[in-house]
Amino acid sequence: MSNSGLSAGDAQLMNAVAEAEAESARHGQDLTPGQWAKKNLFDGVLNSIFTLVFGSIALVTIWFGARWFIDSDWEIVRANLRLFMVGQFPRDDLFRLWVSGYIVVFMGGFVAGAMAHNAQDLADMQGVEYERATWGSLLRRFWTIIAIIIFFVSFARTALPYIGVAGGMVLAVGSRELGWRAPAAVRARSVYIGAALFIISMMVLAGTSRLGGFALGAVALAWVASETGKRDLPGGGAGMVQRWAPAILVAVVVFVVTVLLPYDGYGWEDWGGLHITLFTTVFGIGMGMPIGILLALGRRSDLPVLKTASVIFIEFIRGVPLISLLLFSNLMLPLFLPGDRPADLTLAVIVITGFSAAYIAEIVRGGLQAVPKGQTEAAQASGMSAGAVQRLIVLPQALRAVIPAMVGQFISLFKDTSLLSIIGILEFLRVSDVANAQPDFVGKGLAPVTYVFVALGYAAFAYTLSKESRRLETRLGVGVR
Amino acid sequence: MNDIIVNADATEVGGTGNVMIDVTNVDKYFGDFQALHGINMKVGEQEVVVVIGPSGSGKSTLIRCINRLERHDRGSIVVDGVELSDDIRNIQEIRRETGMVFQSFNLFPHLSVLENITLAPRNVRNVPKAEAEATAMELLERVKIPDQARKFPGQLSGGQQQRVAIARSLAMKPKVLLFDEPTSALDPEMIKEVLDTMKDLANEGMTMICVTHEMGFAREVADRVVFMADGEIVEVGTPEHFFTNPQEERTQLFLSQIL
Ligand SMILES: Nc1ncnc2c1ncn2[C@@H]1O[C@H](COP(=O)(O)OP(=O)(O)OP(=O)(O)O)[C@@H](O)[C@H]1O
Ligand SMILES: [Mg+2]
Repeated sequence: MSNSGLSAGDAQLMNAVAEAEAESARHGQDLTPGQWAKKNLFDGVLNSIFTLVFGSIALVTIWFGARWFIDSDWEIVRANLRLFMVGQFPRDDLFRLWVSGYIVVFMGGFVAGAMAHNAQDLADMQGVEYERATWGSLLRRFWTIIAIIIFFVSFARTALPYIGVAGGMVLAVGSRELGWRAPAAVRARSVYIGAALFIISMMVLAGTSRLGGFALGAVALAWVASETGKRDLPGGGAGMVQRWAPAILVAVVVFVVTVLLPYDGYGWEDWGGLHITLFTTVFGIGMGMPIGILLALGRRSDLPVLKTASVIFIEFIRGVPLISLLLFSNLMLPLFLPGDRPADLTLAVIVITGFSAAYIAEIVRGGLQAVPKGQTEAAQASGMSAGAVQRLIVLPQALRAVIPAMVGQFISLFKDTSLLSIIGILEFLRVSDVANAQPDFVGKGLAPVTYVFVALGYAAFAYTLSKESRRLETRLGVGVR
Repeated sequence: MNDIIVNADATEVGGTGNVMIDVTNVDKYFGDFQALHGINMKVGEQEVVVVIGPSGSGKSTLIRCINRLERHDRGSIVVDGVELSDDIRNIQEIRRETGMVFQSFNLFPHLSVLENITLAPRNVRNVPKAEAEATAMELLERVKIPDQARKFPGQLSGGQQQRVAIARSLAMKPKVLLFDEPTSALDPEMIKEVLDTMKDLANEGMTMICVTHEMGFAREVADRVVFMADGEIVEVGTPEHFFTNPQEERTQLFLSQIL
């Protein structure tokens, strides 16, 4: 086929894109500001009225907003910045938080760079266009996060946060570049590297523990099994042994080494602020995802016990407000758990994980149902086992289809974590109340100041997430069919 | 080959004379609705059987029973000496030996063309990756689109997709190929390239059952044509027989509509 075999739909789409670009070029370049305003703002009577009315509303809002901003006493935020960011994390151990944060930033940058390069390679291989990110485009994508971080830091009274944040931004840029330049073999494994780094960053804070060893062992297990799975293995039991024996061996070694390493951290009783908000969100989604996928598969399973258990779990969790689940976690869950009463945050994280798992399960179920029956039939017809059909054909397509919905769930969980305040956890929103109860500030009516500060924080992260999700949507619609 | 076979049971065997598929007294119900009524059909090794019939006559259901995409309710189906039972290993053994090509291609959109073709051999037969890819490239040569190996299905034309689907089913080195209206979803200009591929296969001695209304194809390569209506086999014969001398009224009516 000529034209590298693009189908008619693709050609149309590319034409549409080219036209839109040309259109925006016409707008941007050929019109003087006056012409542009006439064309877009005062094009007809109705449009002119809209422009005047909404323009005035906007101007008045900005005017009063700015005056309020300038006139307000922001001392309460300055005095409590650390409390807002990291809660009551001990001052002497703050370096752990920085190290941990830097590892996370490095991981994010590295994985993003590697993935972007992988996507570019794939596009090249198929001979399609790939829009490579530039520093400018990355700035446009993440400017809200960058702005909010700068806004936060501007309340700092010492130099350290400035230096630390500047260092973090340099690290983000550098690690993305490093990820982009990494050899293809490393890039292909960036997900495992990222997962391991994330767990290590947690252990920098919390110290080595069985839980950490278990998590790191699980990553090692998945990684090694994927490596051995790439070799040509014999069928049946021998193949299973050759695939899983090395993986299990490495996982056990990783677990034992991690547990034996003498490194103490802080339990998360002391965690708080924005840190805990971000952590519970990421953890809730990260752990909720695999559990949710299993629940979704369970719900579709033919085994009645599995099916019923999945349905009951999903419907119960979804039928009950998160607040009541959190109260339940605080008051009743300890009665069911063996040993001493766990930390409040442990209980809350269990609930948050279960909660997001139930919602993710329903999202995934929607994705599974959207995979056409013909896909399963084609795979079955070639003799693949039911498990292989789910794993290799149905799940990958279903998960790809629900990524945008998953990001939506991510955003709502991010906001829902503010409910942790109900059970006395010092998350981002609750810091506001604590600050307003301090002797220096109590009764001064400063709640609006702290609430605006907190709201801006939530909005900046949520906005970037939802923008990224829309970007993914178009990406997936166009790039991957 | 016999000149004319008029045999409502379709149990004469063409090809080399060895029976490849043996369908005996098969009934199939969807709830209360009986989709197949006492079907008897044998297909010989290297034989090409074309199945025609009006919409809803049970053509798809019949060939989907042969690889157990549908479960038949009565009677027996034997493929290459293995009788279909409810045992999943038994079903998979038969599925490994029978390839199927669908009207809507059903390529895996998240996998490249090459991966579509190598997936089953690697996963089911444990063929080493390099070997599976070499075979896949040979098959793509055979269906005349080796340059599309790295593309994704969505980037191909319908005709190219269907040829990939044929290559995919050939990758398992099946003994039988089942085609369910492989050209019905294609634009006219792409039908020929797919039919040509199927003709090549027939000439190479592949055993095939094709549900298709391409009578030109039937005339050229079919050893036998089976006409179905209302879940029954109504008439069986050579393509010549159907063109010149169809016996049953329902056959004549149907042919007058499609020819
Ligand atoms: N999954 C199903 N559930 C219920 N009824 C079905 C199902 N599949 C097929 N049928 C019915 O069985 C009959 C035969 O269907 P089948 O698809 O085999 O016909 P066909 O000859 O292939 O028709 P077409 O030419 O339209 O493809 C039809 O009446 C159809 O409605
Ligand atoms: Mg049909």
